[in-house]
Amino acid sequence: MSSQRERSRVLQSTKKIGELILEYFSKAWDVRAQGKPLAWITVFTPVELLRALDIYPIAPEHFGAMCSARGLALDYFQEAEKAGYSQNLCSYSRCGLGYALSGMSGLMPPPDILITFRNSCDVYVKWWQSLHMHLGTPLFAGEAPYVLTFEDLDNYVLDYVVKQLEQLVKVAEEKFGLKLDKDKLAEIVKLSDKASELWLETLKLRRFKPCPLGGRDSASDIFPLVVMQGTDEAVKFYEELLGEVKEKTNKREGIIDNEKFRLLFDGIWLWYAFDLIKYFENRGAVFVYEPYSDAWAYRLDASEPLESIARKVLAMGLNVDIDLRIERFLDSIKEYQIDGAVLFSNRSCKSWSTPQLVTADILSKKFNIPYLLFEADMADPRQYAEAQIKNRIDTFLEVLGER
Amino acid sequence: MIYVGIDAGASATKAVIVNKNDEIVSYAIVPSGINFKVSSEEALRKALQKPGLNSEDVLYTVSSGYGRALVNAKSTSSEVTCISRGVHKLFPSVRTIIDVGGQDSKAIRIDENGRVLDFVMNDKCAAGTGRFLEVMSNILGKPIEELSKLHFKSSKPIKISSTCTVFAESEVISQISQGFTIADVIAGLHEAIAERIYNMSSRIGFEKDIAYTGGVAKNQGFVDSLSKKIGLAPTLPEEPQIICAFGAALAAIKKHNESISHE
Repeated sequence: MSSQRERSRVLQSTKKIGELILEYFSKAWDVRAQGKPLAWITVFTPVELLRALDIYPIAPEHFGAMCSARGLALDYFQEAEKAGYSQNLCSYSRCGLGYALSGMSGLMPPPDILITFRNSCDVYVKWWQSLHMHLGTPLFAGEAPYVLTFEDLDNYVLDYVVKQLEQLVKVAEEKFGLKLDKDKLAEIVKLSDKASELWLETLKLRRFKPCPLGGRDSASDIFPLVVMQGTDEAVKFYEELLGEVKEKTNKREGIIDNEKFRLLFDGIWLWYAFDLIKYFENRGAVFVYEPYSDAWAYRLDASEPLESIARKVLAMGLNVDIDLRIERFLDSIKEYQIDGAVLFSNRSCKSWSTPQLVTADILSKKFNIPYLLFEADMADPRQYAEAQIKNRIDTFLEVLGER
Repeated sequence: MIYVGIDAGASATKAVIVNKNDEIVSYAIVPSGINFKVSSEEALRKALQKPGLNSEDVLYTVSSGYGRALVNAKSTSSEVTCISRGVHKLFPSVRTIIDVGGQDSKAIRIDENGRVLDFVMNDKCAAGTGRFLEVMSNILGKPIEELSKLHFKSSKPIKISSTCTVFAESEVISQISQGFTIADVIAGLHEAIAERIYNMSSRIGFEKDIAYTGGVAKNQGFVDSLSKKIGLAPTLPEEPQIICAFGAALAAIKKHNESISHE
């Protein structure tokens, strides 16, 4: 390959994310030292409610992504595999279980309670049960039924989830002597809603050509939206980010020079091969939309906090019907002026990868959008064939270039 | 003055020399081994040697294939683009190309100008590629060239149910121990690989005419199995293995002409 000029860049705001993440985890150790309760949560658990109860949430899925990005995950995978967990299981779960089995002295303090909702992911409950089995820590596993129509967000399905949230409050009262302060909850819900609003507004600016925010930005900047919801820090971060992206948009400044192709990315990013995004960007291809990036943005209503949180638990991420998901996906094609789609079939995440062949068919036959579909794992580098994937990327970009 | 295309593939490295009229002057195929730089130099040396040419006669080189970045060439191009270009030059009526190489299989849909409309490649698994047949030829103790001949001696091809090369290996061993003939096993293997490729290619469809390229297209047994599944007779280049390198050589002419017009 002829020498490539470095075109890939990240926003100033994105450069602060690494520190923000480390601070968040190191604060978790402080919380523990103060004797306050700390929860391990799955990433679609209602952090707003936990924050109002003064339970500090941390997510092993984040931990898995970080370990993978830093080349530390393999030891934990092996620890879990030694204990009998199959290599075919989700790599986040193997990393989290491996960490739990090897003493928990790293970034993530041990939990006082394990909290999950079965939404988006079918592995969650079994993973949390396994942690409960190994650690003996109390477990709360809620159920959020799969949303088949958006009417479910207002009918008995909603009531079912609200009741479970009330149950969670009861558990916190009984286990830790905590009381839910309704005013505090309303305030937290307001902050969470604000952060989502800011993030959604920021993402919308990617509709412009050239695109002011790239794939490395969206992949990193999502962090506060997942576990820091309901904090002033999260709102402050998204205010600054929106300011920066607005300024770039007004100046018509793209995140890369000479934007040639605008791409959609479907899947979780490959954390150990994060530079793949650079590989695209250095060849003039910029990511302008990812379903991943708005998976956690959900508007809340402070006048009915519990109901609104319950709706979020139901409708976040992958917990909605495949047809509704595909619809949302296809709407983005026009809105973001997409030239091509990159579909990452993730061995770890069947819930994500299942509709991809259908989506690919619709993309190419109905919308005449070329797509690239490749197979790997989000966190386990042993499932990754770099030369083969880069070969496909080169071919895909050549095909786009010929159109 | 000549132009060179090199296809540094996972299994073999091919060099094709063309003149300014897009005609093949000479070509060579050598095993890739573990060093693409060495194999590409060797392939080029052999290709130059036949018509008595020198490396100084080469105006422009384009490389393709897995090892393309490691080959001494002025620019690179992906296999899909090169194969399409090569096939379109030889057979302008072709709209679908099925290429089966050492480590990859691909199906490509092109338009009347040879432009790529769509393509699919095998997933990470090697079961639908030449490597699968190489592994099997080793177990059976039959050289790869003989697989074709034996295929047509089979009356009842075995059914390989495993899609994994490693598991298929033990399946083959057990079938032989159960008394199936080697010919039946080989025909069954061709069926298995043809089925995989057929399923993959179905995603882009089979518009006429259909050309087969890549080293595996030299295997008449495989060609027979695949053509029966598709239900159409294929267009076969005289030497299917060099089409990608030929397309790269055609790209070299184009690149060279562009570089002159920019001066």
